[in-house]
Amino acid sequence: MNDAPTELGELTITRIFEARPEVVFECMTTPAHLTHFWGPVGMSTPLEGIMIEPRPGGRFETVMVHDETGEKYPMRGVFMEFDPPRTFSFTEADVAGGMTTTIVFNDLGDGRTETVTHQTNVPPMLMSPEAQAGLETSFVKFDAYLATL
Amino acid sequence: MANDPLSQTFAALADPTRRAILVRLAQGQATVNEVAEPFDMSLQAVSKHLKALEAAGLISRGQDAQYRPCHFEPAPLEAATNWITTNQRVWTERYDQLEQHLKRMRHDQKKEKES
Repeated sequence: MNDAPTELGELTITRIFEARPEVVFECMTTPAHLTHFWGPVGMSTPLEGIMIEPRPGGRFETVMVHDETGEKYPMRGVFMEFDPPRTFSFTEADVAGGMTTTIVFNDLGDGRTETVTHQTNVPPMLMSPEAQAGLETSFVKFDAYLATL
Repeated sequence: MANDPLSQTFAALADPTRRAILVRLAQGQATVNEVAEPFDMSLQAVSKHLKALEAAGLISRGQDAQYRPCHFEPAPLEAATNWITTNQRVWTERYDQLEQHLKRMRHDQKKEKES
């Protein structure tokens, strides 16, 4: 029996943007751009909370602010790679024991860019549809158990 | 390994035996002997897994000194799956907004050229 945490899980998000890699890369790594899109729906990312040191070992920090509650969600990353306009990666030491996000910018040659966003160190069992179904099953069973109490 | 609750949950769930134990306990509480039954391993090994699950808050143990039945505790598991789902949603929405941002940039450039 192996007791150590096993293989690392991965999450991949692929998108195509109507802009050249240079432009998309710059948008992803410049505070003045990031502030416009970094926060998901219902959150903003104020310019003053963004710190980007564009080099390996440099800081990549943002603070997302919930529009309604004002609650703050800081991200504290450190760049591992910084290679414009091809790729950059950063590690967040305080998330799930150290999560690394790598973004690769593929030039599609027609003015468009495909970005592949890859996160590692996400537990594998939580990623696959089968695993999700398994969890749901166990929750259904748990509910059934609760009903018997 | 960081010591935040999410990391502990993830570490505890990384082992297939511990996941199988959790599924078993989700069906109802069980003693160590009952938990160990379907597994080809010593009671001692099973106890070790149970300790790891207990440390991560994924199970609790009863007070009955002799049997100490194990109960499944769903809250940390929910927190872990919520985290994954939220993370995926954040990136999707972020990229939706980047798309809009790029569109605005193209629009502004076009305007600049025209004027």
